[in-house]
Amino acid sequence: MEVGRLPISASQRGKLIRAGYTTLSSLSSLSPSDLARELNVTNSEALEILKVASLNSRLDRTDGGHAIFNGAQTAWDMLHEEQLLRRITTSCADLDNILGGGINCKEVTEIGGVPGIGKTQLGIQLAVNVQIPVDLGGLGGKAVYIDTEGSFMVERALQIAEASVLDMVEYNDLLRKEHRKCQVNLKPNDLLESIYYFRICSYTEQMAVISYLDKFISAHKDVKIVIVDSVTFHFRQDFEDLALRTRLLSGMALKLMNLAKTYNLAVVIFNQVTTKYMEGSFQLALALGDSWSHSCTNRVILYWNGDDRYAFIDKSPSLRSASAPFSVTGKGIRNSASNHKRIKLM
Amino acid sequence: MALISPENLLRRPQPTQKCTLGCPVLDRCLGGGIPCNSMTELVAESASGKTQFCLQLALSAQLPPSRGGLSASSLYLHTEFPFPFRRLHQLRRAFCDRHSIGREFDPSDNVFVHAVHSADQLLDEMRKIESFLSERKPRFPVRVIVIDSIAALFRSEFDNTPFDLKRRSSLFFKISGKLKSLVDRFNVAVVVTNQVVDFMGDNGGMNGLRIGNLKYLYSSERRVCPALGLAWANCVNSRLFLSRNEEVIREENGSANAGNGDTLRRQTRRRIHVLFAPHLPESSTEFVIRREGVFGVDR
Repeated sequence: MEVGRLPISASQRGKLIRAGYTTLSSLSSLSPSDLARELNVTNSEALEILKVASLNSRLDRTDGGHAIFNGAQTAWDMLHEEQLLRRITTSCADLDNILGGGINCKEVTEIGGVPGIGKTQLGIQLAVNVQIPVDLGGLGGKAVYIDTEGSFMVERALQIAEASVLDMVEYNDLLRKEHRKCQVNLKPNDLLESIYYFRICSYTEQMAVISYLDKFISAHKDVKIVIVDSVTFHFRQDFEDLALRTRLLSGMALKLMNLAKTYNLAVVIFNQVTTKYMEGSFQLALALGDSWSHSCTNRVILYWNGDDRYAFIDKSPSLRSASAPFSVTGKGIRNSASNHKRIKLM
Repeated sequence: MALISPENLLRRPQPTQKCTLGCPVLDRCLGGGIPCNSMTELVAESASGKTQFCLQLALSAQLPPSRGGLSASSLYLHTEFPFPFRRLHQLRRAFCDRHSIGREFDPSDNVFVHAVHSADQLLDEMRKIESFLSERKPRFPVRVIVIDSIAALFRSEFDNTPFDLKRRSSLFFKISGKLKSLVDRFNVAVVVTNQVVDFMGDNGGMNGLRIGNLKYLYSSERRVCPALGLAWANCVNSRLFLSRNEEVIREENGSANAGNGDTLRRQTRRRIHVLFAPHLPESSTEFVIRREGVFGVDR
């Protein structure tokens, strides 16, 4: 008998059982005044009993349930949750395809490539696309853009935002044909208003901002993506002590990962490429060294193939390695125009 | 120095101000001119017009914003000697005529010239430049910095050994890091010029690496690529390429006897290409260098 275990006085317990309340669940939906009438006790006494009962039933559930720690989940629950998560589209269907639908929330995705390949363009595109309303299959969130290189240009962001609004209106018209009505009220300028922009001029500032993000995002819960463009620049300047650099970087990576998990948002960080001496020849590799390569969930490398830009999934726990072409157009990131042999699976 | 908290680093991104190059056709190609708060690199082989562009920019920066300028003076750091004073004066005269500037105002008063001999010196100068920028009178603040050329500093001093190359690339990042923080504080447009090296093909080592769109990188019928390699390419925001190609033009003399009457004339065709830029698509425009300056050709 559950009621028998409640830390209340014996007379109260007796009254409860006499009135027919033996289980905690039978008490859960009762109002204090009802209980007071049935047990013939004062209102405050009834309230006290209900408080104790609800406290105990909560403790009960965590003991008896499948979770051992508060907040632990089974893989089944997590899979379920992940299927419900929305992804942030890159506006390039081929790229979305190999990414499993777009950039994932709760994950840190690192994107690297040579200068001029379109890293910043992809960053701006994602900062705009995260704002696509929920009705249109987006996240309807806001973006934090941390610019370390000074490459973010408002006019370009506006161009991409304008193209994105046009696409949304078009898509909305298609939806409306299927009798689902919703209005696109977004204006390109609103899209820019929803990008929180940090300009960073040294690595200390970078560390400070990333530590501050926790506070910032808890005040701005609608932030759904954090973009760091690029994580590398200031860490290639004056580090004589490479061990210190590695410590700072992995600390930063941990913070970013925590942000992604805690606030259910996507973290996208851009990296530069450098040359690495391997097996007698110089190879291209992402900068910041080997230990850094552990700190991201996914790793995407952008590269040139002939005159086309390609993206390649270099590392991912859930995606197969594949490559897909994309192009940078006036409207932003789009499908590659030359559409022969689109996706190559390895 | 005032304490900065992370909150202060959050800002509303402002539309980028552009500084005219002094020619509407070129400005159109560059989306309004050279962007402030950004580092633009001009890559070309010698005698392509890099210095011409820089000199003209130094003058046009003084135009009022209504004419596309910044009402600002400029700082010209030159590493190749001598500084082309005579050409600057020639351009100044044409500039004054074009914008009907009287004798009471001399545009070359607002071009500050400084020689830099080595990469380490350039890094040391950054501190002086910073105080120079902050002390300038507000009427004509320095809003344009030209480094002509960055390649000359780095191409002689360093050996091709792993140690020197590492030191070289760390200097790249230090210099560009300092420059970018200056640029951000004072809203300056920075232009650096760079040289080219011959492209050795895919097997010829790292310079076969593709940065930006290679297909435009032809100059004097050779395939070239920007000097200083990948590390430096990471340090600039935009990269422009100037190409020159000799072309033989057959001109008819207008008389009936074709063949003999034609004269062969060699002509240099110059183009400016956008290799990569955060705000511009890949594009190119033809330009000519005349006595009065650099002008785009509208076709």
